[in-house]
Amino acid sequence: MRKTIQILTYSLLALMIATPGKLIAQTDSSAKPEVMEATTYTPLIEFLSVQKNDNSVDLKTSVKAKINGTLTKLAGLKIEFTIGADSTAKKLGETITDSRGVAIFSCKPEQLTTDKEGKLNFKASFAGKDSIESAEELISVKRARLEITPVKEDSLLTVKVKLIDLSTGTETAVPETDLGVFVKRLFSALKLGEGKTDEAGEASIEIPNNLPGDAKGNITLLAKLDENEVYGNLEAVVTQSWGIPVSDELKELPRALWSSHPPIWMLVTFIVLMTAVWGHYIVIIFELFRLRKEEPKTAS
Amino acid sequence: MQLNSFQQQAFDKQRPTIEKFGRKSWMWTIFFLLWIIVGGYALYLQIADGHIVTGMRDNVVWGLYIANFIFFIGISYAGAVISGILHILKVEWRKPIIRIAEMITVIATMIGPVFILLCVGRLDRLHHLILYPRLQSPITWDVLAITTYFTGSVIFLYLATIKDFAIYRDAKLKVPKWRQKIYKILAIGYRGTPSQKKHISISMNLMAVIIIPLAIIVHSVLSWIFGMTLRPGWHSTIFGPYFVLAAIYSGTGVLIMAMWVYRKMYGLYDYINDKHFIYLGYIMLVLGAAYGYFTFSEYLTDWFGSEKWNSEVIHKLFSFSEYGWWFLFANVAGILLPIFIVAFPKTRKPRWIALASFFMVAALWVKRYLIIVPTLESPLLPMQDTRLEYVKYSPTWVEWALTFAGIATFFLFFTLMSKFMTIIPISEFGDKEKANEKVTKPEGEIVPA
Repeated sequence: MRKTIQILTYSLLALMIATPGKLIAQTDSSAKPEVMEATTYTPLIEFLSVQKNDNSVDLKTSVKAKINGTLTKLAGLKIEFTIGADSTAKKLGETITDSRGVAIFSCKPEQLTTDKEGKLNFKASFAGKDSIESAEELISVKRARLEITPVKEDSLLTVKVKLIDLSTGTETAVPETDLGVFVKRLFSALKLGEGKTDEAGEASIEIPNNLPGDAKGNITLLAKLDENEVYGNLEAVVTQSWGIPVSDELKELPRALWSSHPPIWMLVTFIVLMTAVWGHYIVIIFELFRLRKEEPKTAS
Repeated sequence: MQLNSFQQQAFDKQRPTIEKFGRKSWMWTIFFLLWIIVGGYALYLQIADGHIVTGMRDNVVWGLYIANFIFFIGISYAGAVISGILHILKVEWRKPIIRIAEMITVIATMIGPVFILLCVGRLDRLHHLILYPRLQSPITWDVLAITTYFTGSVIFLYLATIKDFAIYRDAKLKVPKWRQKIYKILAIGYRGTPSQKKHISISMNLMAVIIIPLAIIVHSVLSWIFGMTLRPGWHSTIFGPYFVLAAIYSGTGVLIMAMWVYRKMYGLYDYINDKHFIYLGYIMLVLGAAYGYFTFSEYLTDWFGSEKWNSEVIHKLFSFSEYGWWFLFANVAGILLPIFIVAFPKTRKPRWIALASFFMVAALWVKRYLIIVPTLESPLLPMQDTRLEYVKYSPTWVEWALTFAGIATFFLFFTLMSKFMTIIPISEFGDKEKANEKVTKPEGEIVPA
């Protein structure tokens, strides 16, 4: 009986100590959020088109929604792209937003149709899903094209860029428009210069002759017209062997603090120290083996 | 094994403590186990819910766990350095206290690194440290150094206990058979022949020589984890010696406390006497003064330089609305109190020295906390749009529970070890007097020397 009471008391004591758990937490940061009533979120679609010099058009959307006061990128949403006014709208295709909330659709030249004013009317729409409401965004831009021509005179490297309006069915030069020339780098494009188109719709921009290129010295030059009220975004790309060749062969990194192999002095120091200490241990263990061997036989 | 009268006396005195577990020991064991169970529950929550249950966040990534880790590795110096140095110098009065010192070393080195494991977010990748070590990383140095140090500490304790294991083996102790078997295995056939004594003596000398630089390297490496990081309050060239000194200092404090507790608990007044407390008190005084000098030098340099980020940390340490009171306690209890207690003959008594040690050890724990947290709360990049818990660290009950579980484990291991081997080494005791004494067997039979 006494033993049973003892066991019960100890069990109760253990239970009392173990159970308060989260109750005595200073800050109960582990608590699960309370179940909220179903909330719907209104997505915001940023939509833009990029007309390219191969006559194709890239349609880019970025989808976000304000969730708990923070603008959050929405991934995994199906975005549908159409072209044309409501009555004549034609579906171009669908894309799913990636982890950055971005969906890009590349529109082929034969898919493009303009209205009477020579404008391209695109629509990006989301049909709605779970707690995210439906949304759509429209853009209307005039059909145009950027042309890029590299010109080399002696040692002077120049890029000629021409902006052409295609909305009327004939090619018309567009004057007095600011353009930029860039070179593609590993992560993004590096700006090389700016220029304004003349009466012939052309702008000449000088570029440096010491740009690092790929193994063959190729560099990719990019002419851009950004966020123009009439034409939207335009791009033209050309690859030219004007760069300084940079070998793409993997070179073995030197032994250093930052590389994958430690400096020799560090390796030597480590080996010397470890050998010295573990060497002592081995000698001691050897001594203990000898001690055991020398146990007097009569004693054992 | 034959014992001289001094050894016999010491053995008879301690024999009951290893033969019987006793009611008090059971009660303490249950008490410590309850704390460990609470810690186990906290650990379960941490594993189930992740580190969100701790106060650690993106900016303050280290907290209580790392403070505990440095603290435990620090107190492990009791055996490694104090026992090692006193052995090399052949200081006679060390003999009754070396077992306690070496036990502290082994147990603290076992518990300390566990706190690192508690702090690591992805334990499933722990083996990467061994499979893909990066020799340039202070973390790799730390893992290797602590593993080597722990191995050395175990060997050191074992070497110093072989002779005693032989005594337990031959004494026909009233203990279960499995324990007698363990004593026999651990005694590795030691019979006290001159040749066997020589092997142990060689091994002990080798170990005493190697354990001192090893212990210094271990704590230096630990300090370099901070010192080699470009953070205010950490990036300092004196961190290596500063950490080593603080470690020996706190190790001495824990040794004094353990001596006081065991002397009182087992009535070992004849073996651990006032002289031991006073001598260790003197060591503590010298170390306290040196530690105070390092502390002053460290903060004076940072303050005088007026470098923006260092000034921010200094401001936090001196501001009473932030860490001012803790900083004051760390320095008063950690430096001034032990010095004054030992300096004045009136207070130079075991009880006062043990009390000063207790406060000093607590102060040094606080000091470790103050090294870690205020620096991490002062990031080099300004923090905007961040929740307060990301800026300011506050340990949660989970961290406290695991901290106390660690301390309980330390005491539990100590209790269990002191029931497995005598606190006062029998074989070491009275070795010098042996030649002039009659020799007795443990059973009491008197034979001529």
